Amino acid sequence: MISASHLTRRFGARTAVNDVSFEVGRSEIVALLGPNGAGKTTTLRMLAGLIAPTSGSIAIEGRQLTRATGGALRMRIGFLTEAPGLWDRLTVRENLGVYARMYGIADRERRIDRTLELFGLTDRQATLCAELSKGMRQKVALARTLLHDPVVLLLDEPTSSLDPEVTRMIRLLLEERRAAGCSILVSTHNLDEAERLADRVAVLHERLVAIDEPSALRARLTTGRVIVRVAGDPSVLLGAVHSVVGTDAVHAVDRAALTLQLTDANRQTPALIRALVAAGAEILEVRPEIPPLEDVYLHLMEERGSGQGLGARG
Amino acid sequence: MIEIGRVRALLSKEFLDLARNRTALVPVVVVTVLSLVLPFGVAIAVPALTGHPLDEDADLVRVSRVAGMSPDLSDNARIQLFLFQQFLMLFLVTPVTGAMALASHAVVGEKQARTLEPLLATPLTTFELLIAKVLGALLPTLAISAIGLAIYLGGIARLAAPGVGVAMASLRTLVLTILVAPAAALVALQAAILISSRVNDPRTAQQFGVLIIVPLVALMVVQFLGSLWLSAAALALIGGGLLGVWGLLSAFSVALFDRETILTRWR
Repeated sequence: MISASHLTRRFGARTAVNDVSFEVGRSEIVALLGPNGAGKTTTLRMLAGLIAPTSGSIAIEGRQLTRATGGALRMRIGFLTEAPGLWDRLTVRENLGVYARMYGIADRERRIDRTLELFGLTDRQATLCAELSKGMRQKVALARTLLHDPVVLLLDEPTSSLDPEVTRMIRLLLEERRAAGCSILVSTHNLDEAERLADRVAVLHERLVAIDEPSALRARLTTGRVIVRVAGDPSVLLGAVHSVVGTDAVHAVDRAALTLQLTDANRQTPALIRALVAAGAEILEVRPEIPPLEDVYLHLMEERGSGQGLGARG
Repeated sequence: MIEIGRVRALLSKEFLDLARNRTALVPVVVVTVLSLVLPFGVAIAVPALTGHPLDEDADLVRVSRVAGMSPDLSDNARIQLFLFQQFLMLFLVTPVTGAMALASHAVVGEKQARTLEPLLATPLTTFELLIAKVLGALLPTLAISAIGLAIYLGGIARLAAPGVGVAMASLRTLVLTILVAPAAALVALQAAILISSRVNDPRTAQQFGVLIIVPLVALMVVQFLGSLWLSAAALALIGGGLLGVWGLLSAFSVALFDRETILTRWR
């Protein structure tokens, strides 16, 4: 479990991270979202014990992270840095071997074999890292991060610029680690990935702007609009719509759907459907308009820019 | 507390890396070869080729007597002994110059290759990192230097005037090669690594690190002029002093190794 409490980090006059508090529980994946320079990497580095917070505290598995406990706690943390950081003149196996020895892993060779197999790297184990593709390098870096079976995983943009196949493989692997009880914090720019992977999403912009489940974040930006998809031309149904919800409620009409702005969707929707059916509509789908996470994220960033954060919850 | 396993792990990486980048050892090989060619050229080849034995030079005769060396040797043999003893000082410089490129690259090189951050995310302590870096540069260069020294002493036994080889096998030679040379190399390497962790360009570290050669060369010149002759005891004191300096530099290196600045400011 990761617990960050009122973390602040300043570099001279610049504040990179300001009073950030959150927790990542066991078997949980939290995605850290934010624009460039929002403090994501600084937060991860503080959690990995690489840099100290200016103020605030960090606990890993219930133990305070300090200079004295840093070494022991780093045994339990796997930190994937933004760059793979492989030694180019060493082979894949040699890279893993150095780290296995660094972590004092017993039965090193078997553990390396198992890790290579897990990542599908067995046939590349004798390849010099300089000769690997970007995706392969990232795989090796992730293999190195997981080599010592850490209970806490801190991953700085693990799928940045990777092809969908490797991205999917990494996603599946993280889901597996989550199931094994790991606490996982992933920084990413990829909103789709955050939505697919994370149990909760934390939006960071120097401060923690919001933290919640993706669906709850989206609900914050509920538009109150209902989309009605019908067979045939929806414009012929406008009369029925106007009779129930008025002319102002029609937000958009396209070739297959009506988008209606309702003042009370729960009350108005059943009457609307009855009226449409009575008017001869063949209704294919009725659903509330759900904003994509991207819209929520951009909305939060705009609010942050205008100084009206939604406030962090959860 | 130092965890030897972690030092050995990083050391194994240093050796593997060096084994695949042997050109990094070219400077130490070149300096070692020069350290062999120069003394044999001056003490044996040039007099033989020109037909002018060393004892024709009154200054050399005088200086070799100042050094108080084996009075039972002939003038020619004593001058050879004097010269070979002087050129032995080159073996102090060999590991220093040769390993400088490796040591000065130690920390800043990892940073530039972006391999330092994952390394620092392990339980590896700063002292363990620095000691592995020093040994990673020192051991290969000392090994090459030791081979050079063996050739040097073997060459003297075979090619020099009778009695010179035996006279070379002295306590002074032993102290110089076993204590002073490694200690000087340690000081130079530790200085280079300290600088390497404070600058963001390996060339800067190398330029600063090479300054350690200046006092060694000065010592050599002073001895050549015959105004100073360091006995085995004096050399042992210098060796001890150098080890003390190395201890201090090691402590400074750990204290001054600012991992936060290295991670956050260097680009």
